Amino acid sequence: MTLLDSPALDQARDTGTTPLRLIRAEIMKIRTTSTWWLFLIGFTVFTALALTSNGFSHHYQLYPQQDISGRAQAAQARTPAGVAAIAASMMTSGQFLGVLFAMFLGVLLMTNEFAHQTATATFLTVPRRALVIMAKLTAAACFGALFWLISTVINGITTPLYLHSQHVSTAMTGWIVVRSVLLNLLAFVIWAIFGLGLGTLIRSQVTAVVAGVAVYLGGFAAVELIFHGIYYFYRQGWVLGGPVIAPAVASNVMITPGRAFPHAPPQWAGLVIMVGYALLLAAAGITLTRHRDVTS
Amino acid sequence: MVVLLGALVLGGLAWLISHKRGAASAARVDGAPPRLPERPFGGKPVPAGKLPGGRIVVSGLTKEYRGVKAVDNLSFVVEPGRVTGFLGPNGAGKTTTLRMLLNLVEPTSGTATIGGTRYAGLDQPIRRVGAVLEASAAHKGRTGRDHLRVICQSAGIPLARADEVLELVGLTVADGRTFGAYSLGMRQRLGLAAALLGDPQVLILDEPANGLDPEGIQWMRDLLRTLAAHGRTVLLSSHLLAEMKLLADDLIIIAAGRLAARGTVASIVSSMTHGGRILVRTPEPGKLAAVLGSDAVVTPAGDGDVYITGVDAVAVGDAAQRAGIAIYQLVTDRPDLEAAFLKLTTGKAAIR
Repeated sequence: MTLLDSPALDQARDTGTTPLRLIRAEIMKIRTTSTWWLFLIGFTVFTALALTSNGFSHHYQLYPQQDISGRAQAAQARTPAGVAAIAASMMTSGQFLGVLFAMFLGVLLMTNEFAHQTATATFLTVPRRALVIMAKLTAAACFGALFWLISTVINGITTPLYLHSQHVSTAMTGWIVVRSVLLNLLAFVIWAIFGLGLGTLIRSQVTAVVAGVAVYLGGFAAVELIFHGIYYFYRQGWVLGGPVIAPAVASNVMITPGRAFPHAPPQWAGLVIMVGYALLLAAAGITLTRHRDVTS
Repeated sequence: MVVLLGALVLGGLAWLISHKRGAASAARVDGAPPRLPERPFGGKPVPAGKLPGGRIVVSGLTKEYRGVKAVDNLSFVVEPGRVTGFLGPNGAGKTTTLRMLLNLVEPTSGTATIGGTRYAGLDQPIRRVGAVLEASAAHKGRTGRDHLRVICQSAGIPLARADEVLELVGLTVADGRTFGAYSLGMRQRLGLAAALLGDPQVLILDEPANGLDPEGIQWMRDLLRTLAAHGRTVLLSSHLLAEMKLLADDLIIIAAGRLAARGTVASIVSSMTHGGRILVRTPEPGKLAAVLGSDAVVTPAGDGDVYITGVDAVAVGDAAQRAGIAIYQLVTDRPDLEAAFLKLTTGKAAIR
């Protein structure tokens, strides 16, 4: 037995890269750095805060101050549909900014390779780069789903207790609630993939994160300004639905049952646009990465 | 909404802290570097030429960056069972060539194959080829052991292999430390450990001696020599000639992206020393010149010494003895590898 002998390699029967092994390696990359628990703690705390804030706002909806319009709203909120809507809202607490965590993790999965110069080791191990990017996409989707799971568990424990404390009740397994929770999953997964795609396009970690926040938070205002401008000259109702082409608006349309805003396109249009963006970014990422020179 | 924004700020803060931690631990190198394991390494010797899959063939390789040819129509062969030094001044195109060989940089034209196959076409690349490319190539917040385990996971190698190579490079006691806390020498050794994960036939190293202390250099030299003795192909780049003289069997010298010379260390040195001159100190230089014959050219070297070219030292000594001329000093002024290297590469480097 010498240092150059390897019992580990001698005993291994089946070596080689497989898609599943690559996905596990990508998950391992996140798990073996502090990113893992920082995101976990950050997201958990954030979801708890959002849940609290959401709880207060629904409390004032159910128990308004003494004025006529408030009482009319309360009466509506107390109908079966109203309570179900409150339950759905509570179950998806923290979603609006929570998907940003999923997007950031997607960005990190890619940009870490360049920020920490690990791209060399990664592509030496697996020269088929398209395979690496696809593994990263899958890992990003898994992490998105994980964020959703954490948020759903926290919200799922709290919401029935909250409804009980507010003296209202609804079936938690009703379609309105379940639909919101499932759409929530879709949002987390798609934004995580979106983040990964962004990371392949913009290799600088900071720039990619800033761009992601700008697209998500700033995207709303910019496209609305543009389409309201167009509407000023061309008064057709559907023009006001135009902002759906922005990812943030499309995401909002996708997760909102019915109409997200006046003249908003139907829910499925938002879904199609979001999936389209995710696929487009993934394809661009694979194409760009395949022929890119890795020089550090 | 205020609460939500607050939470976002908190998240951003956490992110910043994580980056700060990485930076802080990068500056800290705690404790003595772990000791290197005993030499020699042992293992199963393989006669040279028994592992033909380890032959590297570079043919017409060219890389152009915005009109500038970093590597220009470069061709060479690297044989298994030998240590081949890839030598050139800074900016000569060594790193670019090695990266093209490893499919990290796309050549403008030409091919590079290992055992007849392009790197991208190898079935299990790290089981065939191990590469050490730069010292700082792991996540600063990840332990060296985890860095290796991630590679094992990607390649489908048992994770236990990571501990074997850590032991091989003597980093076992450091495996709780994050990469950011590694010294430059430890980083080089981790790079070497990563290259050895797949027990590859071919080892490609870019400036592996950088950051190693003399003991570490000696250790690595022994390891590479052992691997070559076991039939492995070892190709390493360097701009340090002294290192290559001690380690390499063959040399490939490039300058300004072009091949300047190739061959064994001895043949390159002797090709440069052809026509070397002899420095002689004698009280009777005129008489010595007269007895040497017409082949010899004698020129004054100051202080009464003379340089003689055209004949070798033995001929000078014999002639002096026959003529009864006293010789106080007789030295062959042999240009060494350093001089040969400078002669081959000077001027070409300046245009870059």
